[in-house]
Amino acid sequence: MTQRGFQRRVPPLEILTPEDVAAIKGATLDILKETGLTIEHNGALKLLEENDCIVDYETQRARFSEGIVEECLRRCPSTFRVKARHPDDDLVFGGNTVYFMSSPGMDTIDPSTWEPRRPTKDEYIDAVRVLDALENHHWFAGHAPYFGHEGVPEVMKITTSLALRLRHTTKFLGQGHANYSWKWDLRIAKAVGAEITIPAFQIASPLAMSHDTVECGFMALEAGLPAGVDTGPLFGATAPATLAGALAQYNAELIAGLVLIQLKRPYSRALVWGFPNALNMRSGEPAVGTIANSLFIVACNQIWRDYGVPLRNTASTYSKSKKIDFQNGFERAMPAMLSALSGASSVHLHGGMYGELSHSPIQSVLDDDIAGMIGRFIEGFDVNEETLALDLIHSVGPIPGQFLDTEHTQRLWQQDQYLQECADSLSYPEWIDRGKQDCIDYAQGRMNDILATHEVRQELSATESDEIADILAEAENFYIERGDIEAD
Amino acid sequence: MRHPIHDDLHNALLAFDEEEVGRLTVASIEAGVDPLETIDVLTEVITVIGDRFGTGELWLPDLMRGARSMNRAMPLLQEEIRSRGGTPKFHGSVVIGTVFGDVHSIGLDLVATLLAAGGFNVRRLGVNVPADTFIDAVRTDQPDILGLSALLTTTAPQQKRIIQHLEEEGLREQVKVIVGGGAITQTFATEIGADGFAPNAHGAVDLAMNLVAT
Repeated sequence: MTQRGFQRRVPPLEILTPEDVAAIKGATLDILKETGLTIEHNGALKLLEENDCIVDYETQRARFSEGIVEECLRRCPSTFRVKARHPDDDLVFGGNTVYFMSSPGMDTIDPSTWEPRRPTKDEYIDAVRVLDALENHHWFAGHAPYFGHEGVPEVMKITTSLALRLRHTTKFLGQGHANYSWKWDLRIAKAVGAEITIPAFQIASPLAMSHDTVECGFMALEAGLPAGVDTGPLFGATAPATLAGALAQYNAELIAGLVLIQLKRPYSRALVWGFPNALNMRSGEPAVGTIANSLFIVACNQIWRDYGVPLRNTASTYSKSKKIDFQNGFERAMPAMLSALSGASSVHLHGGMYGELSHSPIQSVLDDDIAGMIGRFIEGFDVNEETLALDLIHSVGPIPGQFLDTEHTQRLWQQDQYLQECADSLSYPEWIDRGKQDCIDYAQGRMNDILATHEVRQELSATESDEIADILAEAENFYIERGDIEAD
Repeated sequence: MRHPIHDDLHNALLAFDEEEVGRLTVASIEAGVDPLETIDVLTEVITVIGDRFGTGELWLPDLMRGARSMNRAMPLLQEEIRSRGGTPKFHGSVVIGTVFGDVHSIGLDLVATLLAAGGFNVRRLGVNVPADTFIDAVRTDQPDILGLSALLTTTAPQQKRIIQHLEEEGLREQVKVIVGGGAITQTFATEIGADGFAPNAHGAVDLAMNLVAT
């Protein structure tokens, strides 16, 4: 068994002509060959030099040969399985499967004031449990739901969060990294027999890769884990303002990471994603929630389906709204639909608010309805003898005939629908009688129900818990010795 | 009475024409125009550009191109002041960089460029800068302001670490520390003991002006 996700059965949305695709792919190759990337890691540079790339060690610049780029893209599996803590939560990336995933935030949101603040440990656990319970949330993004919780030293937050998530969910986990957290995270995952995916090769736009990220990538590959390549260009700041140019550069950055993966460990499972955004030309911040981002993502999905490498859409569904409101709804639902329609392998959605600055479990509950609606849409509907229902139409005939009391309706009426959990669908009198509740009220109610009743599919064993505790203690000592944490 | 070349410089800077600003600056120096008067003209225009950005009439690329044009002229004028036996005047000095583990440069570039255009003597340490490099720069340069940029929530704690190092080294009192970046808030800045935070690059210039005035 695996998480089924949704199967896209409608033709993928395409917005580029074949000539456009060829021009962008050609520009990507040109960037890789002519300008290349700065890679602050001599081991990676040597590996590239041994494989027909031109390397300048003084500037740490690598220029890629067309042959090795094409060969490494060929080596990337177009579909592959990743192992969660429970086999029913394993995922199969690629093909026409679309998964929805959570997106992280630094703070939690107080729904009575909409103001952000750091989550407590209990709030962290609650947010994980809600995401674990939601049917249309298939896996956790790195850092999701929060970048940590109160009471934990900053350098320990990523690793402590992984331990906490593993205790309260069996779903597959993405994992961020910083300050060498991967040293501990890879071991913790191994201790519970799960794989995690790390943005191992994390590109800094434009066209640069730091030493730490390459080290992390090589360690993930040595551990046999699926490796991620991640980049986050800002159109007009760290990439051209024009989408075509930004796309050519974005793809070059991702392909550079894939080349390193496939040279280091051929045929490794690799997933690519990014945080591409227009720049807010007032503030200099990422302009999340713009339609330009969706244009970019849809074109990107079209090209990466052509490359045959599963692509996860990260930035497409962020909203700049600070509240659960109309802006938040349209800025996340429209891009999520476009991502799923155009062939994304995974779509970030659940819980994230205001970029990556906040997360709300109430929003997660509402997002599960968005995911359900989109998933239902991309699965299309069957056209066959039974669904055409010609015999039924003939037998019912004109008025006073009707379909409500037929066996066909009773058996099949839900087949082509998705019934939202949290949308208001009452009549006016009912709505007034029941306190004029809106979708946020319904979502809060559903969240409370989940927290009162939901149990994780499989508890951690005592041995697993002990091993995690030992690794956390070791990590803490490491950071104390480095001076990052003060000893008690 | 303003020198005619100053009208041309005024118009060139207002049109964000970096090449023309450079050419006219050289021409003003060759014509023997007082560099201090030229700086006054350029400052007047860059203030107008900043005000128009503030009212929403101009956008970030306009602001940056104006600042770049300004920064093209300033070193030439400062050198001319020195050659006349004078000393260039700055509002203050700034050392600025992106903290260790973070290679994002756009915020750093924005703030450093606007600070330089705003009359600060700015030294950029670059990105992914270890804490010790910031400490060494404070010790040797003795800047008025230390600017710490961190885009990522995961690298923001480095800002706290650097402030702690400054305290340990007995350097904290001699420098104002300003912090910024996508993940930074006023609350966080206050928590880690920074002297100032601005939510955007334009605000960072006002912040720096206020800090050196206190």
